[in-house]
Amino acid sequence: MRIRAAVSAALASAGILLVGWQSGVHVADTRSAVAAAAAGNQASGTGTTGTSGAASSESAASSGTTGSSGTAGASGAAGAAAKAGGTYDGDVVQTRFGTVQVQITVKAGEITDVTALKLTDAEGRSAQISNYAAPVLRDEVLQAQSADVQTVGGATVTSDAYLTSLQAALDAANL
Amino acid sequence: MQPTSETAHRLRARTFTCMGTVTSLAVPTDAHKAPQAAADELEAATAVVERLFTELDSIFSLYRPDSEASRLVRGELTLPEASAEMRARYEEAAEWRLLTEGAFTPERPDGALDLSGIVKGHAIREAGMSLLALGMANWCLNAGGDVLVSGSPNPDTDVPWRAGIVDPADRRTLLAGFPLGGAALGSAPPDGMVADGGTRAALATSGSAERGDHIWSVAAGAAEFRQVSVAAADVVTADVLATAIVAGGVPMLNRATAMWDIEALAVSANGELLATGGFRR
Repeated sequence: MRIRAAVSAALASAGILLVGWQSGVHVADTRSAVAAAAAGNQASGTGTTGTSGAASSESAASSGTTGSSGTAGASGAAGAAAKAGGTYDGDVVQTRFGTVQVQITVKAGEITDVTALKLTDAEGRSAQISNYAAPVLRDEVLQAQSADVQTVGGATVTSDAYLTSLQAALDAANL
Repeated sequence: MQPTSETAHRLRARTFTCMGTVTSLAVPTDAHKAPQAAADELEAATAVVERLFTELDSIFSLYRPDSEASRLVRGELTLPEASAEMRARYEEAAEWRLLTEGAFTPERPDGALDLSGIVKGHAIREAGMSLLALGMANWCLNAGGDVLVSGSPNPDTDVPWRAGIVDPADRRTLLAGFPLGGAALGSAPPDGMVADGGTRAALATSGSAERGDHIWSVAAGAAEFRQVSVAAADVVTADVLATAIVAGGVPMLNRATAMWDIEALAVSANGELLATGGFRR
């Protein structure tokens, strides 16, 4: 029991690390040429920030966000070696949560602020950075008509209530 | 929703009553099989599932005075002396209690052991494994409103099963739909009813509308949610988390969606909806 719990916890941690690592790889892919040309210690320092941020985050969702800020850090470092202060726009990056672009503010070589410039996905909706359940209107959820479904879910139906349920009608039609 | 023309395959269904509710097994008619052979296969598969449910019910039902669970509640038996099946389910339920920070619990407020929150999900999971072991690739198992599917209602396609979720305010109407099964995990979702989170095989719904007596609110007072549906890869996760969210309210909903790869649709007491991306159009 404890072992299973420990293994699940370890797997979950590994999963979170993996997301952070994948974000890092993505950054490496898109920025590798520039990053290689940038000041080595600054670029690697930024990378470390991104990774450790992801590891300490509580969920994969927020680690994805942290990874994106790593992106901005990398491009900022690449663009101006980040010695002086200023704001730097990151590249537009495709993540599993949608399109993301961030802006960082640097003072004396340290990132002091991270702002999201773009957080939308392909359909123009607000990007879902996490899998947060948000308030929706009835016509905003996936619609279904009883003639168009093969099964009906609902809070546990007693066998008496089943007789008058939609599921009973479906079952009767398929007998 | 898929256009109805895609449901050209007629379904056949069989039902049985167990655990105080009705379970139905639906399979698409198979054009490659003789009608009688297909009917016999469905009869045999339903019998396997029914036997499995009945065996578990005889152990865990608190409505049967002679069940092992009833003897435990009466103190005639202690957990260390209980059957391996009983101890395994208790262990699983206790693990879920830890993971949900107490929102899901295998004990009633009076301290009596009550594993009914996990037994039905377990029965559906075991039934699903039996159906796969019988070589059945396409089926939809619905036990009292909790659903587990395999494959597609249109064999040899990626078309998902389409599940409707009843409106707790009017059980004759559907509140929402959700695609189950169909395309293999990782492949592109089919057109139409697209779930952002990819395909899920299980959909479980808990609430106070029908039989809320086995859900105990963590905080005293009226339940925040009237009905909660959770879609997940496996039916026990879906079932336990739906139950936990009804008991634990918004904090548990947020915890569940952050920690598990699930989609959730919650109906609050005043009829408002909370949904993750996979439930949105």
